[in-house]
Amino acid sequence: MQIIELHASVTESNDRDADALRAELKKRGVLLLNLMSSPGSGKTTLISRVIRDLQGQVRTAVLEADIASDTDARRIESLGAMSVQVHTDGMCHMDAGMTARGLAAMDLDGVGLAFLENVGNLICPAEFDTGAAKNVMILSVPEGDDKPLKYPLMFQTSDALVITKTDAMPYFTFDLDKAVLRARNLNPEIRIFPLSAKTGEGMDEFERWLLAELAAWRKNG
Amino acid sequence: MIDVIETKAAIEEENDRIAKNVRAFLLEHGTVLINVMSSPGAGKTTTLLRTAGILKDEFRIGVIEADVDSDVDAQAMAEAGLAAVQLHTGGSCHMDSTMTLEALRGLGEPCPDVVFLENIGNLVCPAEFDVGADLNVMILSVPEGDDKPLKYPLMFQVSDCLLINKTDTAAIFDFSLERCEAYVRDLNPDMKIFPLSAKSGTGFDAWTAFLAEKIRQIRTEKSRSSRETEGGAI
Repeated sequence: MQIIELHASVTESNDRDADALRAELKKRGVLLLNLMSSPGSGKTTLISRVIRDLQGQVRTAVLEADIASDTDARRIESLGAMSVQVHTDGMCHMDAGMTARGLAAMDLDGVGLAFLENVGNLICPAEFDTGAAKNVMILSVPEGDDKPLKYPLMFQTSDALVITKTDAMPYFTFDLDKAVLRARNLNPEIRIFPLSAKTGEGMDEFERWLLAELAAWRKNG
Repeated sequence: MIDVIETKAAIEEENDRIAKNVRAFLLEHGTVLINVMSSPGAGKTTTLLRTAGILKDEFRIGVIEADVDSDVDAQAMAEAGLAAVQLHTGGSCHMDSTMTLEALRGLGEPCPDVVFLENIGNLVCPAEFDVGADLNVMILSVPEGDDKPLKYPLMFQVSDCLLINKTDTAAIFDFSLERCEAYVRDLNPDMKIFPLSAKSGTGFDAWTAFLAEKIRQIRTEKSRSSRETEGGAI
């Protein structure tokens, strides 16, 4: 009997596509950030804030992935940034092939930061390399400080963790120290940025990190 | 010629086949299975604890906790005195009927009157897998935003009830209940919607009164149809 290891072949071919996309983006000086979170953690609001704050300093492009709807792409477009909506047609994550096709629909000349807003899901997107230079996970205060215990892989594959909606802290029992400790237990290297995209508190530090990563990406190799 | 292997269809067929076994098991034991789905952190555990606390005088209640990892939720249930089983799905993003059947057996004899299945926190994959439940309940929390029906339509279509949780935080989030309800009704005109707060208890009277009545109704139907089966087809 022949056993076909579908999962391995899917991820292997995806890894090849991802490496090719990363090399291409490196050549063009585009830093692609893969943003992953639960539904409703504030990915679009965070991107919108970064676009507004960094206007004039760096060109941005946004790839919006959703199962259905184009509400997010419209929000980004209303800010005057370049945006493309990808419909995954029921799929629960983005892979490198879909990301490359989405990016190909945009003129990336002069773009510094490209954001991939992944499907709202803490499980499946963590398993697929999209070709991004950095993986950024977003956890919002209302979701609770126990999420690292429940979705460990997402915390392990992320380079940075943005803890959003800190302005809602008084309304929820969210222990920031506990969340940071649990995330670091899984991933000692992870960069952590508590912030509120609504009030702007903490945005500076995150944006400085983005610009530093972009400079490093363009300098090396 | 290329061979196209339709694995997804085959997986779903197999799942539907086992879901029938789950239904047979539930019928035999007179148990009502309630599948609870939501995003991570929408408040499934808190909602279940409060709901079970209200219903436990009338029904024997069990809980199946599904998690990729950890057993924090099952511990919370056990502390509340409920029969609980923790399933580790080992990275899987949803519960399927095979896992559900195994967990139901794991609850021991006699099987409880009502079993809540706390699915994995995910608005996508769990909607695609029939676990054999009598009732699908979805929880959406206010901080997630009122636009979620636009983005995760299937979840809203397969659910019988929608609990809108964390209404106590409505003052600090831009969440319009009317807008949300309108989006939901476009997808699922029959959806029963209950705004509530699992923290404060607001809205639980209406929700648990509805649920208790629904459970009684399903149990009556089950006992009738299992009597008919025992007595031969009518």
